[in-house]
Amino acid sequence: MKKNRTILFLIVTVSVFFSSCQQVIQLDLDTSVPHLVIQGNVYDQAGPYKVKISKTVNFDAANIYPAVTNATVTISDNAGLSEVLSQDTAGTYITSKLHGKVGRTYILTVNVDGKTYTASSTMPVPAEIDSIYYKNSLFGGSQLIALDFINPPNKENYYRIIHFINDKQATGFSIFSKNTSQAEKTSYAFMSTNPRDTTTTPKLKKGDKVAVWLECIDKGVFEYFRTANSEGGQNASPANPVSNISNGALGYFSACSVRKRQIVFQ
Amino acid sequence: MYKKYSCFLLVFFLYVHPVFAVQLITVSGYIRDAKTGEDLIGATVSIKELSGKGSGANAYGYYSISLPSGHYQLTAQYMGYEPQVQQIDLTHPQKIDFLLTTKENTLNEVVVTSQRKNDNITKLEMGVQKLDTKDIKNIPVLFGEKDVLKTIQLLPGIKSAGEGSSGFNVRGGGADQNLILLDEATVYNASHLMGFFSVFNSDAIKDISVYKGNEPAEYGGRLSSALDIKMNDGNDKKLGVSGGIGLISSRLTVEGPLVTDKGSFIISARRTYADLFLKLSSDTTLNKAQLYFYDFNAKANYRIDNKNRIYLSGYFGKDVLGFGNTFGINWGNSTATLRWNHLFSDRLFSNTSAIFSNYDYRIDITNEIDLNIISRIRDYSLKQDFQLFSGTDNTLKFGFNSVYHKIIPGAITASSDVDLKSLTNKNAWENAFYISHEHTFSDKFSVEYGARLSTFSLLGSGNFYTYDSIGNPKDTTYYKSGQVVKTYINLEPRITFNYILNPQSSLKAAYARNVQNLHLLSNTTSGNPTDLWIPSSNNVKPEIADQVSMGFYHNFNDNLYEFSAEVYYKHLQNQIDYKNGAELNFNENVESQILFGTGRAYGLELFLKKKYGRFNGWISYDLSRTERKFAAINNGNYYPARQDRTHDISIVGMYELSKRWTLSTTWVYNTGNAVTFPTGKYEIDGKTVMLYSERNANRMPAYHRLDFGATWIVKKTRKFESSWTFSLYNAYGQENAYTINFRNNEKDPTRTEAVQTTLFRFVPSFSYNFKF
Repeated sequence: MKKNRTILFLIVTVSVFFSSCQQVIQLDLDTSVPHLVIQGNVYDQAGPYKVKISKTVNFDAANIYPAVTNATVTISDNAGLSEVLSQDTAGTYITSKLHGKVGRTYILTVNVDGKTYTASSTMPVPAEIDSIYYKNSLFGGSQLIALDFINPPNKENYYRIIHFINDKQATGFSIFSKNTSQAEKTSYAFMSTNPRDTTTTPKLKKGDKVAVWLECIDKGVFEYFRTANSEGGQNASPANPVSNISNGALGYFSACSVRKRQIVFQ
Repeated sequence: MYKKYSCFLLVFFLYVHPVFAVQLITVSGYIRDAKTGEDLIGATVSIKELSGKGSGANAYGYYSISLPSGHYQLTAQYMGYEPQVQQIDLTHPQKIDFLLTTKENTLNEVVVTSQRKNDNITKLEMGVQKLDTKDIKNIPVLFGEKDVLKTIQLLPGIKSAGEGSSGFNVRGGGADQNLILLDEATVYNASHLMGFFSVFNSDAIKDISVYKGNEPAEYGGRLSSALDIKMNDGNDKKLGVSGGIGLISSRLTVEGPLVTDKGSFIISARRTYADLFLKLSSDTTLNKAQLYFYDFNAKANYRIDNKNRIYLSGYFGKDVLGFGNTFGINWGNSTATLRWNHLFSDRLFSNTSAIFSNYDYRIDITNEIDLNIISRIRDYSLKQDFQLFSGTDNTLKFGFNSVYHKIIPGAITASSDVDLKSLTNKNAWENAFYISHEHTFSDKFSVEYGARLSTFSLLGSGNFYTYDSIGNPKDTTYYKSGQVVKTYINLEPRITFNYILNPQSSLKAAYARNVQNLHLLSNTTSGNPTDLWIPSSNNVKPEIADQVSMGFYHNFNDNLYEFSAEVYYKHLQNQIDYKNGAELNFNENVESQILFGTGRAYGLELFLKKKYGRFNGWISYDLSRTERKFAAINNGNYYPARQDRTHDISIVGMYELSKRWTLSTTWVYNTGNAVTFPTGKYEIDGKTVMLYSERNANRMPAYHRLDFGATWIVKKTRKFESSWTFSLYNAYGQENAYTINFRNNEKDPTRTEAVQTTLFRFVPSFSYNFKF
């Protein structure tokens, strides 16, 4: 009896659940002229802040993105401060004296090959982290790592959470928005400790150092990450994220306030 | 009161067609199955003296012919049944009921002029596919669960929405542009288990017709097609039980007389038990999971007298998916239809229906907070249809349909404060009046013309918004309960011509306009139970389709083979697509996420069928193109719609090897869907991001698959029948792409790769069926 059941179970599971398979295939994909990619951040923490400028490559090329080294990069703010960034490594431009301040609007201007790309971003009030801790998942008994933080009241706050494992930024991120009438303690589980639950890399092992950044971002940057998150997978019409940079450049420019915490996974 | 009404209509009709002032006498009655008492929908009565002209039975098996007095020979015929002949002397109105017997059971060797039928040539309808429930039984499908929606996908112009899916696209339309009716009630989500099964239990189904865009005027509300499914009425002669036990589901049907020859009932139930096997798993996540669906069909009817008959039918189905006690989602349809057939006279047939339809889903989350989300679309509907028969040359159909839609897009209850807010409920009132006239001008030429006048009113209460160009709310207006927010009125003309070249061939042409006021928002490749229906509103205009089509129909070898070629061109207005990164879930301003554009679809459909014999089957080929045009997509140029498939081929063969064994096979091939693949890549935050250019500029690989099926009748006596069915899905194990994803190579992170997911290869299944 037991054997029969096992056989039946095997037939069903094999035919229904495991008949799906994945394989790498060769596709003859279309190519595209190189597009300009800009990524810039200003934090409410000490600088230097970086602006990286690169170009896209075709899908079947290696993941080596040509640095744009002939750009003039300027960051200014609405208090009249302005700084021309200097090139550090190829394609990475850094500030030397700018210090990000909450509430200010920062304007990025990039000149490359006679074209000008601009973006502006306003640094929101930070949300203070209360604690970092483990909790159990809703599904399947996995363990999660969560943050408690205080949500600033009476406005729509936009968040992005990224995390680092042993100082290496993990793929993927969480974004959400929140609006409460009072300063309210809010809990957010941002990752699972069970490597099976996630598609992000690197995978977590015992003894690893997990650092988390809670970023308060403005609406334009939130829209960028929201639309970047919906790309791929089951989406029937994948498209490029909505950038806050003008003139068709890819990427984003974000002035954000950030709070950080760390935990060692046991 | 009723008499007065019918008199008025009769006068109206006589005014339109003064020719009927001639004294005509009516012969009328019902055509039914002799063994079960089931109405034979679409059976015909032909009159020898009028060179075979006659009348077809309506959806309730009723026919009516008016003739000058005289002697006539009537022949009642229906596919798969022995014809029956009756001589009459028509001097006064007569009731003649025909009880036809199925061919296989006839021991009577009396040779009736068993003329093979050429309905497809003579009938005044085109772009219609009817499915024989016997074909459904024999054609192999995924998991061996015979399925109406998967079988119609083998017919010309009807395409599968994806691997193993019960979703379908008709002539380039979207999956939400099909009107799916079960005993007149709208079924809003025809899928179980993410589409691998349809909600229609084929044991409970009698008749299936698909109208591909030029449906008669009594149908309306969707752009692409009307799929009209009618449930069995139940055997009114004797009690019977039938059922089947399969690998992942079982089903049971009980039917019998309420009062012999006057009323009957049928109850049919089905349940899958995939989760019972999950319980055997040692994986703690899997064995606590729930994953099943069930459904019930029930119907009863009673003939009060010769002029009145009532029917009550209903469907209830549910899918349940859950993980232990912490998370659960269930969804399902329920429908109920109460119908009253009434004969005002032997020429005026009336049906009045009160219809209820409901689709909902519910999500329960229990953890630190309890959260419960309910979403629902519910219809209350009243439908009145009249059918006026006169002579053999005219049939007039008219009526109205009034539907009240109540949509709860998302109602949230939570034990503590959560960010999600309940969405504003939407109410709408939809009305339609229709009239259509079928007129035979001569032996060769006939026409059916008509129109449908539809109105749709969005009603309060609630806030209604207008949006600026980037989608932020601009104005908010509050409407009181019942207050009209916006009304759309549309006239939908329909016309079909048939010119019979000779008894073996005909030419047909048709034009139809269809209007759709309920729109399904779905931006995933496979469709979700949580996809949202929204009504036309101040922001969303009704979708409109105009379709012209032409066809050539030819039968040969004494109607043994049927051939048809149809071409169509369809122009679409107010089509819906989504902004990049559109947020469709739990968004009060979901209407700001939508783009509006136009579309066109055109194609050629070829169909060759061998209708009779030990070997029968068909070949269907479509050559088509479906395009959309949106100002904000691909620079406003036409681009292929996702479901655009240049070639689509289906081959179906069934062979009766012996009395006990029937073998069947299907082979399908189609061009891959239009999809958007990356044209490059770049890096943000150290992560590879794909670069996209044109929407739907690429193609999934072509899809093809071979299936085998076999039916083995173990025992067949008067008292008991039993059989086994076997099937093998994807017999040569073709690795068809279900999805293609792009990612960094895990071993070599400096490279990216395309990864194809294949769902089903070599899926065998078997089931045991019985009947007593």
